[in-house]
Amino acid sequence: MVNRNAFFIFLAGTLISLAIFLGLTWDTHRQVNALTHADKLSEEVVAGKHVWAGKNCNECHTILGFGVYYAPDLTKVYKRIGAAGIKAAVLQPEVTFKNSIRHMPNLGVTEEQATQLVAYFEWVSNIDNNDWPPQDRQAGQSAAQRRLEGSAGLSAGAAAFKEKCMGCHSIGGAGGSIGPALDKVGTKFDAATITKLIGDPPSVVPGSRMPPQTGVSAADRQAIAEFLAQQK
Amino acid sequence: MEQTSKVDASVATATTTQTADAAGGAIGRTRVGTALVPYASQRVAYWYFVIALALFGLQLLVGLWLAASYAFTMPQGLENALPYGMTRAIHTNLLVLWLLLGFMGGTYYLVPEEAQREIYSVKLAYLQLIALVGTGVTAIVGFLFGWTQGKPILEIPVPLDFVVVLGALIFLFNVGMTVLRGKKTAILGMLLGGLVFLALLYIFGMPFYRNLTIDWYYWWWVVHLWVEGAWELVTASILAFVLIKVTGVQRKVVEKYLYLETALFLFTGLAGTGHHYYWIGAPDVWLWVGAIFSAMEVLPIIAMVIDAFLTKRHEGYVIKDKVVWTFCMGTAIGHLIGAGVWGFAHTLPQINYYTHGSQITASHGHMAFFGAYALLNFAMFWYAIPRLRGITRYKPSLAIGGFWIMSLAVIGLGLAMAVAGVIQVYVERVLGQGFMTAQLHMQLWFKVVMFFGVVLIAGLAMTAWTMLKGRQEDSTEVEAVEIV
Ligand code: HEC
Ligand code: HEC
Ligand code: HEM
Ligand code: HEM
Ligand SMILES: [Fe+2]
Repeated sequence: MVNRNAFFIFLAGTLISLAIFLGLTWDTHRQVNALTHADKLSEEVVAGKHVWAGKNCNECHTILGFGVYYAPDLTKVYKRIGAAGIKAAVLQPEVTFKNSIRHMPNLGVTEEQATQLVAYFEWVSNIDNNDWPPQDRQAGQSAAQRRLEGSAGLSAGAAAFKEKCMGCHSIGGAGGSIGPALDKVGTKFDAATITKLIGDPPSVVPGSRMPPQTGVSAADRQAIAEFLAQQK
Repeated sequence: MEQTSKVDASVATATTTQTADAAGGAIGRTRVGTALVPYASQRVAYWYFVIALALFGLQLLVGLWLAASYAFTMPQGLENALPYGMTRAIHTNLLVLWLLLGFMGGTYYLVPEEAQREIYSVKLAYLQLIALVGTGVTAIVGFLFGWTQGKPILEIPVPLDFVVVLGALIFLFNVGMTVLRGKKTAILGMLLGGLVFLALLYIFGMPFYRNLTIDWYYWWWVVHLWVEGAWELVTASILAFVLIKVTGVQRKVVEKYLYLETALFLFTGLAGTGHHYYWIGAPDVWLWVGAIFSAMEVLPIIAMVIDAFLTKRHEGYVIKDKVVWTFCMGTAIGHLIGAGVWGFAHTLPQINYYTHGSQITASHGHMAFFGAYALLNFAMFWYAIPRLRGITRYKPSLAIGGFWIMSLAVIGLGLAMAVAGVIQVYVERVLGQGFMTAQLHMQLWFKVVMFFGVVLIAGLAMTAWTMLKGRQEDSTEVEAVEIV
């Protein structure tokens, strides 16, 4: 056979690459538990993954950057909008995204399933994935946060706002779009009203679609409110 | 019409000893029914091709709907009734289904000519076609009701997966038996190897993985190792077969390149899978291995283009079949642009960090699939279908026009998505504005995508019509493709 050498090159090239590939696969399995905090991979998290698959969430959203690009990436959504935000999105998408240019369907997710989804997203958000995606970067600051800092200076209130509210609200164009932009919110509410609104939005704006931000400490509420009251 | 003189040596000797055999005489000269093929069983390929073309058409119509969902605001009620994701699943599954049917049809067409015997069982070939198309239709109807496994691209629910595996096993058995009992060539070996590899990989997409990281890890064993591994072997073999036929270049030469190119494809492509493991929670070593090996994935593609061009220059043969030749060149160059250039553009971690999972990815997906696999299938269709229909002479203008319309439409569509992608990366990921803010700025570009989508559909309609209904051209005054 004239092409014997060519055939051996084919075989050798393939086997070398295969060996590297399988070796690294073994290494990945060895390290993955630590990298993903598999000890926290509880039955509830797995139940959440079943809901995620069963409701075809991945056919519109990406997670770890894979899937479909129609809707926001959900890798760090738990850190971005919190448990209350996630529940508002999945239980009442028609309300939460009423004014959006793109709608999320109501998929008939039950309260229990929503809780499982939250557990799932919380677990996913802690996977050590080299700090992707850039918009939710933890180490260093995300681009949105840097811009805010440039415009507002780093007061305690601005810092807490970045962490707790920016997944849904923007200032100076930076930040999320579930809630309205808050550039001029100081003309509408004073600091005391905003403090009240954070914990109980409907008490200030009847029928407000904003989920109560119960996870924000009293001191942070105060600081955020003072910061926002200056936005005029 | 003159008798062909440029059939390669091995086939020519074989045919002289075989002319009296029931299968027919010299290559391409005997009519079996209306078909002009040496082996009657090659005719099963026809139905694979026709169904593939129809499914491609359907895929494109659904594609328009997807682009419209991006370009305009769909009302909440519509989104509830038919979620975007289910239509998108139909788009991608139709793509995979028609490409695979095309490969299988191509295989059934070329295996008898290579192995120099009829297909082991024509009945099994039809049975398998029915099983696969039946599964496909069931799956797509199921998607409309949300019946899926919930994994992008591999949505087919597990029970249907088993039918797919069964269909694949029948296929491999049928082709394997034919090859075992016939002549064994390098092309057949590579083709069969690629097909077995392809089928094996599918299994890794079937289980439910508890850990999301592991889930995506094996998802790519299907998706990446298919398009950048197994499918490369299959298409390289099909391309080698077609090139031997249309240029008459020596088999020895083609086989040598076949081995060297596939060696490079697998050497770079296997470890190159790492370019999908940067951000999933896998060890950091993948950043290096993925970057280095996947950057080298461009080399075999360049080699393939050079090789295809040399085929013509080196041998100094007249290209008899201008149409098939155009599609062969088209797929080589389309592969280079879509997979080589577009793939390389976002394969290094420093860039991929920003472009990962954006419309840049979608742009690359379109250019690569079309250039590398859709055009390759079309090259085979244009080789086989006129013969299967018994056409010996036809005017090439519409076929070549179809090539240009479709190719330019996909380039337009891919560029529009790329612009949308750049906007997305800049607004969402560099400026840090909301996802939907970026989408708002991208809507215009999806209108452009829709425009090119319509052009593509027109190009396909024209191509399919010419291919399946185009007439024999008997007047010798007219310049025509001669099937010899
Ligand atoms: C048909 C497509 C579609 C499906 C299916 C879908 N979503 Fe959504 N989802 C959207 C869109 C569109 C948005 C963004 C709306 C906006 O921000 O204006 C969204 C937003 C969200 C958000 C808020 C994200 C953020 O950062 O602002 C969460 C959380 C979410 N979806 C979770 C889910 C879950 C969980 C499922 C599955 C049960 C799911 N989605 C299924 C389309 C979809
Ligand atoms: C899960 C998303 C989400 C999070 C997180 C969130 N909000 Fe909201 N917020 C909304 C939505 C939605 C509205 C609009 C409610 C409506 O009008 O029905 C809103 C409205 C508001 C308003 C009233 C704006 C106006 O012009 O009427 C203020 C003030 C506000 N939010 C402050 C905050 C602060 C401060 C935080 C952080 C502690 C925060 N929000 C966190 C979703 C969110
Ligand atoms: C013919 C061959 C190819 C085809 C059909 C193809 C197709 C695709 C598709 C469909 C995706 C998206 C998958 C998804 O997430 O849904 C993808 C992703 C990707 N491809 Fe290819 N590809 C090919 C070759 C290549 C090559 C040669 C390279 C690199 C040199 C490459 C680099 C990439 C990268 C980096 C991604 C990930 C994008 C991201 O991070 O979102 N591809 N490819
Ligand atoms: C009428 C023409 C077409 C239009 C309008 C169109 C539109 C689209 C749209 C809007 C998406 C969704 C991207 C997303 O969900 O974010 C998509 C996905 C996809 N389409 Fe098309 N498409 C067309 C033709 C094609 C063709 C010809 C091919 C291949 C040969 C193709 C292959 C794909 C693939 C592989 C994906 C998944 C991409 C990914 O995961 O990154 N499409 N298409
Ligand atoms: Fe890849």
